Amino acid sequence: MVLEVHNLQTHLHLKRGILRAVDGISLSVGEGETLGLVGESGSGKTLTGLSLLRLLPKGSGRIAEGSIKLDGQELTTLSDSAMARDIRGRRIAMIMQDPMTSLNPVFSIGDQVSNPLRNHNIAHGATLRSKVIDVLTQVRIPSAEKRLGDYPHQFSGGQRQRIVAAMAIGCTPRLLVADEPTTALDVTIQVQIIALLRQIQADTGTGIILITHDLGVAASLCHRIAVMYAGRIVETGPVRRIYKSPAHPYTQALLAAIPRLGDKRARLQAIPGQPPSLIDPPTGCRFAPRCPARMDKCAEPPPTVTLADGHEAACWKLA
Amino acid sequence: MLALQNVTKHYKTSRGTVRAVEGVSFEVRPKSTLALVGESGCGKTTIAKMILQLERPTAGAIAFEGADTATMNAAQLKNYRRQVMAVFQDPYASLNPRLRVGTIIAEPLLAHESPGRAAVEKRVAEVLDIVGLPATAARLYPHEFSGGQRQRIAIARALALRPRLMVLDEPVSALDVSIRAQVLNLLADIQLEFGLTYLIIAHDLALVEHFSNDVAVIYLGRVAEAGPTEQVFAQPRHPYTQALLAAVPQPDPDHVLNEAAAAGEIASALDPPTGCRFHPRCPLAIDICRTTTPEPRGTPHQAACHLVEA
Repeated sequence: MVLEVHNLQTHLHLKRGILRAVDGISLSVGEGETLGLVGESGSGKTLTGLSLLRLLPKGSGRIAEGSIKLDGQELTTLSDSAMARDIRGRRIAMIMQDPMTSLNPVFSIGDQVSNPLRNHNIAHGATLRSKVIDVLTQVRIPSAEKRLGDYPHQFSGGQRQRIVAAMAIGCTPRLLVADEPTTALDVTIQVQIIALLRQIQADTGTGIILITHDLGVAASLCHRIAVMYAGRIVETGPVRRIYKSPAHPYTQALLAAIPRLGDKRARLQAIPGQPPSLIDPPTGCRFAPRCPARMDKCAEPPPTVTLADGHEAACWKLA
Repeated sequence: MLALQNVTKHYKTSRGTVRAVEGVSFEVRPKSTLALVGESGCGKTTIAKMILQLERPTAGAIAFEGADTATMNAAQLKNYRRQVMAVFQDPYASLNPRLRVGTIIAEPLLAHESPGRAAVEKRVAEVLDIVGLPATAARLYPHEFSGGQRQRIAIARALALRPRLMVLDEPVSALDVSIRAQVLNLLADIQLEFGLTYLIIAHDLALVEHFSNDVAVIYLGRVAEAGPTEQVFAQPRHPYTQALLAAVPQPDPDHVLNEAAAAGEIASALDPPTGCRFHPRCPLAIDICRTTTPEPRGTPHQAACHLVEA
């Protein structure tokens, strides 16, 4: 396994109280595997990604408990300097949603793609330059050599996201955390970035965690899916199982709530209500207040039930 | 109900003329929903702004129930404005955080009528009820509501004056998946109940197929394809529409995306391609596509493509 996370709890210490943003999740990513972390805003998927990189909000964010192992090495106990030197940008890299904010407008793209390579001692001097050109060519920036001196605004939105990907893969990371990498892009550009991520994985064997709210994007890229709700993983399994035979009522409701091409249902199946506050979450199943299959038992924490090889869901109905 | 005839909008900038909208024509039928779809920068929001009288067309006419909005006098324009309302994408930006919800919803009422306080309160409570919020919501501020509830407040405000046409600019794209269906179902319900006509702007094609009766696909300021939604989605005729539909990821792991559907990216409206504006990305382009702008062919399902037979 490239990544193994066990019982991760990430808290945000706010004035209003402690927000249990990630509340005891476990997951793993293998070599060359893409795991989709799917959920709505506030479900904790982005903070899970940031926890892996130890990029939590300064002051308020804290990993309260749990273990994160990269190739067997524990990361939660690593010093900040070791994390910056050996892990972040080197063995775990991240692609964020908006290429406009992850690129610095006042540096040339040659500079920005060189930075991680230089900082992590991957290449220097003339080899650095040729390595930068290689990486930019790999993400299909046309005539990369001539464009090293160009600035982010001279590229289109899709090309900017390719440049961000180039920065991430330059050091051949073991794990790539891609947080909504196509959400800011138009659909014809989105499909190009999906193809690029697939190509990067085929070329390098990197493990990918794809964080997304888009069930279509997740289906087209992921091998396995973990569905998050209110800080917890409610269901995890191989992509076909999750889409073809979802077991958790939340997964089922989510899949029923989205309009699909070619599907002429008159009415969408809305999920009533909204997610609970994570400052004072319900003790039992967190989806219970919105769940059509709610029982008395749901006031107690639900057991995790194994339904098939690698397919698990946390629900009393399945127990 | 609403008819656009050859509507064009150019912006003069220091770098040249931005041809944001170029000769766009379509009609929205009463009590139906027309969807404008296209990628960012295609001009769909500019079209909405012109309909809402926030921008003036450079050329062409926008007619509401047969009357050209350009020749309306002040009283007629005011009447037009009360019949045409808008709901915008981001309910965090479209509601004034310093005003109570009751005041926000009452604003259009006070701008157009001089009702008594009791009448205002009654109408505010009515529209809150229509959108599924309690009357007590009127005393609270926007930050006390979730995103989905805020969008309900924006819809309540748009409904306050009993409009006939609503312009919905990406009304659910800022909302979570589980909340989107609630708001879309609400919009469908009030359309039926009050006989509203909708013009919806959206980039989510599955949503458009589900929600609209007619659709106009816009590419770089021009209508590429238009017609009854069912026909356009079942048999897309323009290569751009075909590429768009092929590029939509489906919530189905067996679905194969056509990754080569549309190479490259949308050109700049500052310097749009000659001929058919889609030709640099079109896998089927031939010589005439580079030189001659295609006229729309076919009715009611029309496509502006040289390769489509009339």
